[in-house]
Amino acid sequence: MVTRMATTPNPTRNLPGAPARLLGAAAAALASSGACADQGPVSRLLFPKSAATYASDNDDVMLFVFWVSLFFFVLLMGLMAYWAVRYRRRPGVPQQRSPSHSLALELLWSGIPLILCCVMFWWGFKIYMHMHVTPAKAEVVNVTAKKWAWTWEYGNGGSSTETVRLADKESPVYVVPQGRPIKLLMHSQDVIHSLYIPAFRKKIDVMPNRYTTYWFNATEPGDYNLFCAEYCGDQHSQMMALIQVKPEAEYQAWLAELVNTDRFSLLDLGKKLYITKGCNACHSVDGSAGTGPSWKGIYMKEHEMTDGARLTADENYIRESILVPAAHIVKGFANQMPSFQGQLKDRELGALITYIKSLSDNGKDEVDRAVKQDDAEREERMKSKGKPNAAAPQDAPAAPVAAR
Amino acid sequence: MSSIPNKPIAGHRGHAPEIHAGHGHHDEGSFLAPKESLAKTVMSWVWTIDHKKIGVMYMVATLFAFLLGGLAALALRLELLEPNILVNGKMTGQLFGDLTLTRADGSSTTITGNNIYNRLYTLHGAIMVFLFIIPAIPAALGNFFLPLMLGAKDVAFPRLNLLSWYVYVAGGVMAVASIVMGGVETGWTFYTPYSSTTSYGATTLMILSVFVLGFSSIFTGINFVVTVHKLRMPGMGWFDMPLFVWATYATAIIQVLATPVIGITVLLLAIERVFHIGIFDPALGGDPVLFQHFFWFYSHPAVYIMILPGMGIISEVIATHARKKIFGYKGVAFSSIAIAAISFLVWGHHMFTSQGEVASVIFSAITFLVAIPTAIKVFAWVATLYKGSIAWNTPMLYALVFLFTFTIGGLTGPPLAVLSADLHLHDTYFVVAHFHYVMMGGTVMALLAGLHHWWPKMFGRMYNENAARLGCLLVFIGFNVTFFTQFYLGLHGMPRRYATYVPEFQTGHQISTVGSWILAAGLFTHMFTFLASLFGGRKAPDNPWGSLTMEWDTETPPIEHNFHHEPVWTHGAYDYDDTIPPRTREGEWPLPPPLPAGAKAH
Repeated sequence: MVTRMATTPNPTRNLPGAPARLLGAAAAALASSGACADQGPVSRLLFPKSAATYASDNDDVMLFVFWVSLFFFVLLMGLMAYWAVRYRRRPGVPQQRSPSHSLALELLWSGIPLILCCVMFWWGFKIYMHMHVTPAKAEVVNVTAKKWAWTWEYGNGGSSTETVRLADKESPVYVVPQGRPIKLLMHSQDVIHSLYIPAFRKKIDVMPNRYTTYWFNATEPGDYNLFCAEYCGDQHSQMMALIQVKPEAEYQAWLAELVNTDRFSLLDLGKKLYITKGCNACHSVDGSAGTGPSWKGIYMKEHEMTDGARLTADENYIRESILVPAAHIVKGFANQMPSFQGQLKDRELGALITYIKSLSDNGKDEVDRAVKQDDAEREERMKSKGKPNAAAPQDAPAAPVAAR
Repeated sequence: MSSIPNKPIAGHRGHAPEIHAGHGHHDEGSFLAPKESLAKTVMSWVWTIDHKKIGVMYMVATLFAFLLGGLAALALRLELLEPNILVNGKMTGQLFGDLTLTRADGSSTTITGNNIYNRLYTLHGAIMVFLFIIPAIPAALGNFFLPLMLGAKDVAFPRLNLLSWYVYVAGGVMAVASIVMGGVETGWTFYTPYSSTTSYGATTLMILSVFVLGFSSIFTGINFVVTVHKLRMPGMGWFDMPLFVWATYATAIIQVLATPVIGITVLLLAIERVFHIGIFDPALGGDPVLFQHFFWFYSHPAVYIMILPGMGIISEVIATHARKKIFGYKGVAFSSIAIAAISFLVWGHHMFTSQGEVASVIFSAITFLVAIPTAIKVFAWVATLYKGSIAWNTPMLYALVFLFTFTIGGLTGPPLAVLSADLHLHDTYFVVAHFHYVMMGGTVMALLAGLHHWWPKMFGRMYNENAARLGCLLVFIGFNVTFFTQFYLGLHGMPRRYATYVPEFQTGHQISTVGSWILAAGLFTHMFTFLASLFGGRKAPDNPWGSLTMEWDTETPPIEHNFHHEPVWTHGAYDYDDTIPPRTREGEWPLPPPLPAGAKAH
C-alpha cells in the first residue's frame, strides 16, 4: 500500500532549481504535518479519500497552492483591516502624506507572484503528464457513455450485472483491481460526457467523435463514486456508477462471473440489464413519467408516432426501438435514445424484451414460456461447459427471437 | 457657493476661476427634469441621445435582469436544499416535480423535474452573463460617467449609443421569449453537440438573442474607444485619466475585438440547428471541441469585460474615500491593458479535460501570466489605504468587501490553472464558487460600491447610510456563506449542473442555500434603500465625498450638457494631498482638514 509517508518526498523531485525545491519541501512538510496516517489533517479536511497513485501527488500541489494562497490572503487582509481601522477618518485628524508609488515595491509584488506561478505551473505540469501518459501493460476496459449511463466492457467481453442505489436511482457497480494500471478507452454515443472519479482526482471528457483515455492505478480498496461531469441533459445528475477497488484475486473472481450470464434466468437478466444498460434513466417500470415512455403495460399497446403512424408495440417494434431507436418515436417524446446495436448479445436482447413483456398483463404467458425454454437451453450449456470446442454460451440463439 | 475657497494652491494647477466668466447655459436644468407634459417627458427618454439618460435606462434594464437571474438562483438553491431520495418508494426532496403539459390537439409532453432545474440554471447563467454582468458596469455606469470624467459633453456617437440600448432590449426580449416559448436547457455555454441536437424548447431563439446582444456590446465598445481617444478635455493626457476610464477603455477594446467571434460562433450553431449543416455535430461531420475553442475565444476575454470595469470602480472608490492617490497609478493603468491583452491567449484553460495535452500545457503556462497584473492591482489597492483618511461609508465598505471576496476569487484561480489540479476541480462546485467569487464577489460588489458612490450624483438624492451599511453587512455574510461552502463541495467532488446529488453533499448544500437567503435579504435591503432615496431622500450636494474627478465638478444631478463651461484639465484625479475638491460644502461629509499648503510628500 502506498502511504502518505512514502509519497511526500515526491513533489520535490519534480521541481526546478534549489529555491523551488525548498518551497516544495516546505509544502510537503506542511502537507504531512502532524500525520502518519494516509492523509494529513489539512488534507483530510480539504479533500475526499484519495485512492489512486497520482491522487496524493495532486493533493500535494493543491496543498502548496492552498498554503501560498492562505499566506497572501492573511497578509493582504491583515494589512487591509489594520489600516482601515488605524487610518479611519476621525473628526479633526488631518490626512497624511505618503509616497504614491515605489518601483522597488511594485517590482517585488510582481516578481514574487511570478516566481510562485512558475513553480505552480511546473509542478502541475509534471503531475499532469504522469496522470495523462498511460503506462504500458495497462489492462484495457472499453467504456461507452450515452445519455444517461456508463457501460464498461471488460477484456473478457463481460459487463457488470451488479447494481447499487446511489441518490435516487439504481446504478451499476464496476470492480477494478488494486495496485495495477487500468486504462479506460472511452467514447460517447451521443453528446460529450466526462468521466469523473473524485477519489482519483481526475476527470476526462468522453467524446462522440474520438476515443479518449483515462488511466489509473488504484491504491485503496473501497467504494468510490463515479460521476458525469459534463452536462448532458435531463439525467446528468443521475449518470453515476460505483467503482469498487478490490484486491487482485477478488477482482479476478468477479471478472470471471461477469461472462457467466447463464447464472441468471432470462427474466432476471432482463431486470439487471434494465439498470446496467441505463434503460432506467428514461423508462420507468411503474407507469411514472420520464424522458421515454414507461415500460409498464407498453407491450402490445398501440401508440401514435410522431409521423402520425399508429404502431403496436410488439416484439418487432420493441426490438427495433432498442437497435434503431430513431426509426419510430412515440408522439410526445423526443428523439433522444442512442442505439444499442452491437452492444447486446442475442440472449441479452431477448432478456430485455422478456422483461418488458413481463410488465404487461397480456405478456405474462409468453414470458413464462420464454423463461422455461431459456432455462432448458442454459442447462444444456452448463452441462456442455468444459467440453472441448463447446460453443460459447453467448452464441446460442435467444429464446424469444427464436420463438418468433 | 462653496465655503471652502476654490482657489489654486501654490505650485499646483487648481481651478482657474476666470474660465467660469464666459457665457454658459446657466438656466439649463437637470437632465432628469421633467418636460412640459408627460408625453414630452416620455419622448425625451425614448429618443434621448443623452449618455446620462441612456446610462440610467441601461441601469434599470440590467438591474431588472439581475433581479430575474437572482430569483432563478434562489429557486435553484431551494431545489438543492435536499437531494432526491426514495423514501418508502416515494421520491422526496424534489422542489420541481414532473410537469405534464397537454397541447390543444390532445397530445401531451412531460417535462421532468430535472429538466425544469436545467432550464432554470440556463436561465440564471444566460441572463446573468449576457443581460446583466457584461453590460451592467460599462453600459450603465460607464455610459453615465465616462464622458463626465473626461469633461466631455457626450460620448462620441450618441445615436449609436441609443441604438445599442434598443438592440440590447431587443436581445433581452428574445432571450426572455425563448424561455417562455419552451425554455432552453443547454447551459449558458451552449456546448455542442448537446446544443445542436437537443430538441427541447427554443434553443435557436436563445442563440440568436446572444447574436443580437453582441451588437449592443460592440456599439458600446466602439463608442468608448473613440470617446477616450477624441473627447478628453483640453489638457488631459492619457496618464491624467481616472483609472475607471482606463479600465473601461481596456474593456471596450476587448468588446470590439472579441464579441464578433461569439456572434459568428452562435450564428454557425444556429445554422447547424436549422439547416443541419455539419460544423460542430460529429453526426454531421463536425467537431464539438471546435465549438469550445470558438466559444471560449470570446467568453474568456468576456470574463475580463465583466471584471475590468469593476476594478476601475474600486480604484475610484478607494482613492476618493481614502483620500489618496492610487498607489502605483501607472502600474494599475497598464495592468488593465495587460489583462486585456493576455485575456485573448488563455481561452484553452476552460478545456483542459477536452483538448490535446500540448495545447493544455501551453494554455496553463499563459494562464498563470494573468495572475500577475491582477495581483499588482490588489496589492496597489491595499497599499493605497496606508496613511489614508478612510471613510467608513457604504461605497468604501463595499470596496473593502470587494478586496476580501475578489482576493479569494483571485487566489482560487491558480488551483484551476494548475494542470493536474484542474483535472480534479474542473466542472465541480469549486469552479462555481471561484467564478462567483470573481463575478459576484468582484464585479457585483464593485457595482454596489459604484452605485452607492455615484447614486447622489445620478439622482441628486442621498440614501439612508445606515440602511445601506446593513445591506452591505448582509450581502457580505450571505455571499460568503453561500459560496465559500461551495469550495468545500467542489474539492470533495460535487459536480456542477446537478439537479440532485448523493446524500453525502447535503450539509454543504444546506448551508449554501441558507446563505442565499441572507444574500437575498441584503440585496433587497439595498433595493428598498435606493427606492426610498428616490422618493424621499435628502437632496444631495454637488460633491458629497469631496472627490477630485470631473464628474463631481458639476451640478447634482448633472445638467443636460454636463458642464456649464467647457472644462479644462487643472488638477490630477487623485491629487488629494494638494488640491481642495471643487464644490464641497462643510458638514456634508466630514472631510479631513486640508494639508498645509506647500508641504511636500517626498
